[in-house]
Amino acid sequence: MTSVPSPAPGRELSNPPSDGISNIRFSNHTDHLLVSSWDKSVRLYDASANALRGEFFHGGPVLDCCFHDDSSGFSASADNTVRRLLFSSNKEDILGRHDAPVRCIEYSYAAGQLITGSWDKTLKCWDPRGASGQDRTLVGTYPQPERVYSLSLVGNRLVVATAGRHVNVYDLRNMSQPEQRRESSLKYQTRCVRCYPNGTGYALSSVEGRVAMEFFDLSEASQAKKYAFKCHRKTEAGRDIVYPVNAIAFHPVYGTFATGGCDGYVNVWDGNNKKRLYQYSKYPTSIAALSFSRDGRLLAVASSYTYEEGDKPHEPDAIYVRSVNEIEVKPKPKVYPNPLA
Amino acid sequence: MSNPQADPLLQVETTCGSLLYELQIIWDEVGESDAERDKMLLELEQECLEVYRRKVDVANRSRAQLRQAIADAEAELAAICSAMGERPVHIRQSDQNAESLKEELRRILPQLEEMRKRKSDRRNQFLEVQEQIQDISNEIYGSTQYISSKTVGDESDFSLRKLEELHRELHELQKEKSDRLRQVQDHLCTVNSLCSVLGVDFKQIVVEVHPSLGDSGGPKSISNGTIDQLDAAIRKLREVKLQRMQRLQDLASTMLELWNLMDTPIEEQQIFQAVTCNIAASEHEITEPNTLSVDFINYVEAEVSRLEELKASKMKELVLKKRSELEEFCRRTHMVPEIDSTMEDAIEAIETGAVDPACVLEQIELQIAKVKEEAFSRKELLERVEKWLAACDEESWLEEYNRDENRYNAGRGAHLTLKRAEKARALVNKLPAMVDALASKTAAWEEERGIEFTYDGIRVLSMLEEYTLLRQEKEQERRRQRDQKKLQGQLIAEQEALYGSKPSPSKTQNVKKAPRMSTGGTSSRRVSVGGAMLQTPKPDPLQSVKATPRPSRKSDRGHQNDQLNPQDDGFSVLSAGRRGLDIAGLPAKKHHSFGTANVREIESPMMRVPFSPISSTASSKANMANLLDDPSMTHSETLQKTLPNNNLQFTTPSKTNYMADEENKTPKALPIPVPTTPATVSVPMQTVTTPAPPPVSFGIKVVEEIPEEIEYSFEERRAGFVLPKTHMKSMIQV
Repeated sequence: MTSVPSPAPGRELSNPPSDGISNIRFSNHTDHLLVSSWDKSVRLYDASANALRGEFFHGGPVLDCCFHDDSSGFSASADNTVRRLLFSSNKEDILGRHDAPVRCIEYSYAAGQLITGSWDKTLKCWDPRGASGQDRTLVGTYPQPERVYSLSLVGNRLVVATAGRHVNVYDLRNMSQPEQRRESSLKYQTRCVRCYPNGTGYALSSVEGRVAMEFFDLSEASQAKKYAFKCHRKTEAGRDIVYPVNAIAFHPVYGTFATGGCDGYVNVWDGNNKKRLYQYSKYPTSIAALSFSRDGRLLAVASSYTYEEGDKPHEPDAIYVRSVNEIEVKPKPKVYPNPLA
Repeated sequence: MSNPQADPLLQVETTCGSLLYELQIIWDEVGESDAERDKMLLELEQECLEVYRRKVDVANRSRAQLRQAIADAEAELAAICSAMGERPVHIRQSDQNAESLKEELRRILPQLEEMRKRKSDRRNQFLEVQEQIQDISNEIYGSTQYISSKTVGDESDFSLRKLEELHRELHELQKEKSDRLRQVQDHLCTVNSLCSVLGVDFKQIVVEVHPSLGDSGGPKSISNGTIDQLDAAIRKLREVKLQRMQRLQDLASTMLELWNLMDTPIEEQQIFQAVTCNIAASEHEITEPNTLSVDFINYVEAEVSRLEELKASKMKELVLKKRSELEEFCRRTHMVPEIDSTMEDAIEAIETGAVDPACVLEQIELQIAKVKEEAFSRKELLERVEKWLAACDEESWLEEYNRDENRYNAGRGAHLTLKRAEKARALVNKLPAMVDALASKTAAWEEERGIEFTYDGIRVLSMLEEYTLLRQEKEQERRRQRDQKKLQGQLIAEQEALYGSKPSPSKTQNVKKAPRMSTGGTSSRRVSVGGAMLQTPKPDPLQSVKATPRPSRKSDRGHQNDQLNPQDDGFSVLSAGRRGLDIAGLPAKKHHSFGTANVREIESPMMRVPFSPISSTASSKANMANLLDDPSMTHSETLQKTLPNNNLQFTTPSKTNYMADEENKTPKALPIPVPTTPATVSVPMQTVTTPAPPPVSFGIKVVEEIPEEIEYSFEERRAGFVLPKTHMKSMIQV
């Protein structure tokens, strides 16, 4: 174990979006990377080849995107539309609309449905197999207590985080009402929510440099395991500076996770052992989004000013793809005097 | 004979009379003799008679003919009537009515005619029906089998009943025909569905049975042969289907097993959903076209063999996985897996290909099952052991605490420590009973099972024994110390008398911890227990010399420390660390003995005593002030204070020590944190159970604005998104 400072922040992708990056996602099958941006575009990169493979332009800033399969994806746009993107033909069509900008989008392989959350305080489920046109594709609309800020899926569970620190947990098989209605354990606005890959709970980050680790199981034993920790802070001249935690990404193999904050740092944590495993060297500006590739060997980092301090000059938006060393993400169990494993 | 009314006869009479007269005249002239005359007359009379007789005969004959004709007609009529099954209309009336024969004949003939016509009509009807019957029969039985004997049939029975009978027969035949048609249709349907499931050409199969079945429009063959053949075809297809189904289900179950074994991703599985969903289906439930086609089965087979190959390649991985599963389970239940060496061998053997990995896998699975079963039986005892160990921890903490000079100093969190001490004392009082109960239970368990009950490989009974011994020794030690104390008191009093001053009590500043039962690391327990036994009773030679067995109740703390001979590095720095903690005023202080347990026992985070509640204002303010997000940023005084948080392993103040102890025990790997150097060292999280305190100064002002107005995310601000007024009210209510 050497603590040599990692020399580079990873390979920077050429042809980055020209404005803020709202989300980046690796495909489940290849090393393709889907990127949505405030420059009204969705771009498809081949991360391993560092090549731009497709570009789609929308009527408004794109706030989120996700893959359907390797030949198509979806995007959520600030022009209230939910769109389907066909990579092979570079065509797109409108799947439906919300009444306000669509903030986040997820595709559930379990339900075969697309789920979108919007600032119109609703969640909508879509069946992308239907012909285009709202009336054919819309499966249901589910009112939320507040504007939806973040969504995450694991299996049939859906976690919805909204303004006002509400957290609703749904079972996709019965969307009529939330399985659980919760309030965020953190005192400040929710930035990001991501489910554990093992499906037992979720991590939730706030604008105040904190991440809460929560569990679905409501039994006392399970709830006793929940906790919150501070991160992405620094002290400068005796003054504490606390940064928003914009992004959480779980490692698909080890279940450890990376967080990205407005301080430009990416930290890797081991939630079970309550340890920080690694900190990457500082990126030029805020970390807007993170994504591990399907095998966890690559980590895409969107270094892009997230507008936390309003309109101001900032570093150019960039996407870095770094190869992940096992030591950076593998949980470190205690050393056993009598090594078992 | 002669009819007087008839003129010709009269004329004949007259002509005869005149002719006779003429003859008489002639005779007279001729002068014939009377005899001659008589003779001539007789002759004449005889000749006349002859003529009459002839005529009568003729008339008689014609009458007889007439009668015959009537009788014939009547007979025919009767025959026809009887054939047609009708009652003869004309009953012989001629007797009563005294009709002439000719009239009678005239009357009968049209009737006869009429009947004949009717008969021929009827006959035609018969023919027609019989023809139809013939046709249908031919269709059903095949042209050869049914000999058309009935068609020629007897003419004798044309009765309506017979016709009806024939009609009935025809009707039955028609019904049978339609039945058969339906049957054929059904069979065809069955064949069709079977063919589609099996992916076989339906037309070909059907045309083989009968060419007429192939074309959809035309009439279909319904003969026995066709139906039999269709039946046979269906049976054959069904057999094939059953075979293939069996094959497919075998493949599917293999596939499921493989998936299960290798955690194949759902997406990959979904492709074969169609296969696996039929795994338990019975034959008639499989109706999807092509599910049993040769191609499809080959396709599935290919997938299975692909998976098998994959499995073979992954087998080692799997074995390792299963093994680590087993070990993990053992670790969780504090059992010692007995398989280490054999497993290594097995894995090597797999690598060299000497052993079938499946066999090894099975073996491991068997072991897992066994271990699980055992774990279940251990559960209750294990809980008790854990409880006991926790109590031991508390005990040692209490001892340590009792030795702390400053324990009553009113620092932050002191009340909590006090509370804990109170609880710990109660617990310690219960300890002997707990040990006894545990010992008896364990003994009973061992008795019952005939094996030793071990905890992380150490026999619990021996642990208990050691503990009791240790306890006894401690008790003795305590007594001895009290004596010493008293002795010392006397000594001091003497010195004071001599020099007039008391020695500084600060000479025993270096507060040392009593060795304690370590609860964590598996094998270190034995060592530490043993160590404690060795260390504790080791008295300072000087003091032991001075020791007198005089018991003293007072001041049993603080001064005994010199006797303890700490050998552990971790312990030697404890005091410094603790002081650091005290200065920082962190609530971590009260946790430090737990910290050790926490870190060592990673495998049982559930059993860990949860972070004790921290009053949010006090603790998190302190944290806010002191804690850094990144310990590697500055290696300063603050950092040192920050590190010993709730979660810290040893209560060591410096990270280097922790590293040395926890990570690899080689000091060479100590990273000296340098600012902006990304750390590979795992750093404990700054966890707090309660949310953040009210306003802290933020780098970003957004948060501070929250209470005043509706909250907006950065994205909403950037997009210029504003909530419509109507929503505002509800928002505020929320």
